[in-house]
Amino acid sequence: MPEPVIVDRVTKRFAGHTAVDALSLSVPSGVIYGLLGPNGAGKTTTIRMIMDIYEPDDGSIRLFNDVAGGRTHSARIGYLPEERGLYPKMRVLDVLIFLAEIKGVTRRAARAAALQWLERLGLGDWGMRKVSDLSKGMQQKVQFISAVLHDPELVVLDEPFSALDPVNRQVLLDTVIEYRRQGKTVLFSTHIMEHAEQLCDRLCIIARGKKLIDGSLADVKRTHGGKHVVIAFDGNQGAAQQIFGDRRLVSKVEDFGQQAELELAPGADAQEILQALVSSGARLSHFELASPSLHKIFVDLVGPEAAIAAANPGTGNDRGHARA
Amino acid sequence: MTGATPVHKVWAVIRREFVERVRTRWFWVSAILGPVLFAGIIVFQIAQSLGGGVRHIAVVDTGRVGYGRRIIEALGPSKSIRADAATFAPGVFDSLAGLVEAKQLNGFLIVDDSLPTEGKAEYRASNLSMQTIEELQRTLNRVIEKARLEGKGVNPEVVDWSQALRVTLDQKKCQRGACTSESAGQSFVVAYLISLLLFMAILLYGVNVMSSVLEEKRDRIVEVLVSSLRPFQLMLGKVAGAGAVSFFQFLIWGVSGRIVISLRGPIARALGADPSQIQDITLPHIPFDTLVVFMACFLGGFLLYSAMFAAVGAMSSNEQEARQAQQPVTYLLMISYLSFIGLTNDPSSTFAKTLSIVPFTSPIATPVRWAGGSMGVGELVVSLAMLAVAIVGVTWVAARIYRVGILMTGKRPNLKELMRWVRA
Repeated sequence: MPEPVIVDRVTKRFAGHTAVDALSLSVPSGVIYGLLGPNGAGKTTTIRMIMDIYEPDDGSIRLFNDVAGGRTHSARIGYLPEERGLYPKMRVLDVLIFLAEIKGVTRRAARAAALQWLERLGLGDWGMRKVSDLSKGMQQKVQFISAVLHDPELVVLDEPFSALDPVNRQVLLDTVIEYRRQGKTVLFSTHIMEHAEQLCDRLCIIARGKKLIDGSLADVKRTHGGKHVVIAFDGNQGAAQQIFGDRRLVSKVEDFGQQAELELAPGADAQEILQALVSSGARLSHFELASPSLHKIFVDLVGPEAAIAAANPGTGNDRGHARA
Repeated sequence: MTGATPVHKVWAVIRREFVERVRTRWFWVSAILGPVLFAGIIVFQIAQSLGGGVRHIAVVDTGRVGYGRRIIEALGPSKSIRADAATFAPGVFDSLAGLVEAKQLNGFLIVDDSLPTEGKAEYRASNLSMQTIEELQRTLNRVIEKARLEGKGVNPEVVDWSQALRVTLDQKKCQRGACTSESAGQSFVVAYLISLLLFMAILLYGVNVMSSVLEEKRDRIVEVLVSSLRPFQLMLGKVAGAGAVSFFQFLIWGVSGRIVISLRGPIARALGADPSQIQDITLPHIPFDTLVVFMACFLGGFLLYSAMFAAVGAMSSNEQEARQAQQPVTYLLMISYLSFIGLTNDPSSTFAKTLSIVPFTSPIATPVRWAGGSMGVGELVVSLAMLAVAIVGVTWVAARIYRVGILMTGKRPNLKELMRWVRA
């Protein structure tokens, strides 16, 4: 089976800056693929080019081994854009039918599928209500239904988990995992690494329009790895700060207060650190030799400023401006 | 999954646009109540002026010959004026003015013996209605004529015989080889209705397209749409959908207009007017060819202007910006509407001819001139051809602005940026 998405050295420039710079990636069939990066990295621009909303200035995109764009294949692709929106004055069911119709589904089939999905996501009683009567979370679910209603082979989700409450997030996660089980392909973008770590089979981290790393989650961890120790304190931290600062033992620290993630210095032994901590009077509830978290890799790769931006979602989003 | 043809997709957009608009309460309010209200107001006014009751006036004769008495006699058969003599005495004008003030009298006429020599009289009233003045003038003229002829020794019976017959001018309008009985008044009304209807319809439905584009942009629906549809298909569907709504509305107006006309008797009675007088009101006859030209020009004008309005909606981010940006387009449409007087007074002038050739004014100017009978078939063909060319050109430019504009947020583009969008 051909790879559903192949992005080949694609560049997109907007007035004043290059949003995506010679980016290449390929999404194999049947995986959940994460496109990761801080805000402004070029994730949405890349997805919009895949969806045929923007034309690349350079490079090419192949979908299902075909150069014809996403619009041509819209019946096979589901798309949840970053900027959500539905017709507020339309009935929920009518919106869903319309959005399926413009992808080529017949009215009858669209209606049946829409009713089924509304039921499944707990919106069975809301089909005849106006979109504006729904809560934000419900509207998000309706938008998600509109992306998958026509049973696409490839689902493209731009920041699917932002602005969702934990309950709805779980519903969405379950659905995405269900999709993979059915052998479908999911491409999603996020700047929240925890989501990516839970879901991704494969991933690509980009920053400032350029690819930093890609591959399977396991490969990325292995190649980027180094030896890592995750520690959780139980009250007293003893001389932890001093030990963390010892460059013979520890080369990098992510200190979260009650928890810390350490990268061992070359040649250092984790047991040495454990001993030093205990003898300094620190009480530990957790001490684990681990591969690095995706978050750690991400911070290392994109730099601390980007990590701060990523930790504050909703700021610094300058997409959409000066775009001619 | 079946591959959708572009037609299927555009059709879905047209249907959504149509159904969502027709479903609103406002559509039906304006479609049904609008004409009923307009017709009601017009019928009410006509009923008022026709059955407005008899005007009661006094005639004061300050002379001795008795012209006042003659005038009262001459007004005898009148249905709308009842005249009584008021004896001339000091202070009579003031007391009559008092009666007028108290609404016991509509007015009073003052004549003296110099009437047949000077031809002057005076009428004082609280309300100088055209109808009353015209009838008084006609009557006074007859009285003078009779008095002057009698002065020259003509037999009064001969004068009466002579005055008994008045000419009725049967007006026929001849255009393109056929003559219809249509009065100058009716012609004017038809021409005025044509330009008013076209102006209103093109503006209202063009603005509808604009706000629909704006809604999709503001509510951020457009991104999902353009991942399934070409921007041009989307724009086409919107314009066609809004156009279909306006045709539907015309249909409702036409049908309800017919119903109102056929029920004019009962309506007049309900409003307290004499139904027999209302029976004279008929729809002015509109020839089939005029109707066809009207529809063709509406369709052309609508396509031309709604493409421009769609581009305006696409380049704006909110209602306020759109209101500003639509002004040049609205002014362009207004030119031909405001030139209506020139178009009807002299439909063959160079000015009128120019307006009916230039595509931006021809949608209104052409049907007005055609209805006036001063436009040849050759001119019509040129006008419609120019319009068709302009539609293609303007739609092409508008679609390019639309394509870039719908995904833009932030500052409205200036002219230079717009040019870049078009060239991109």
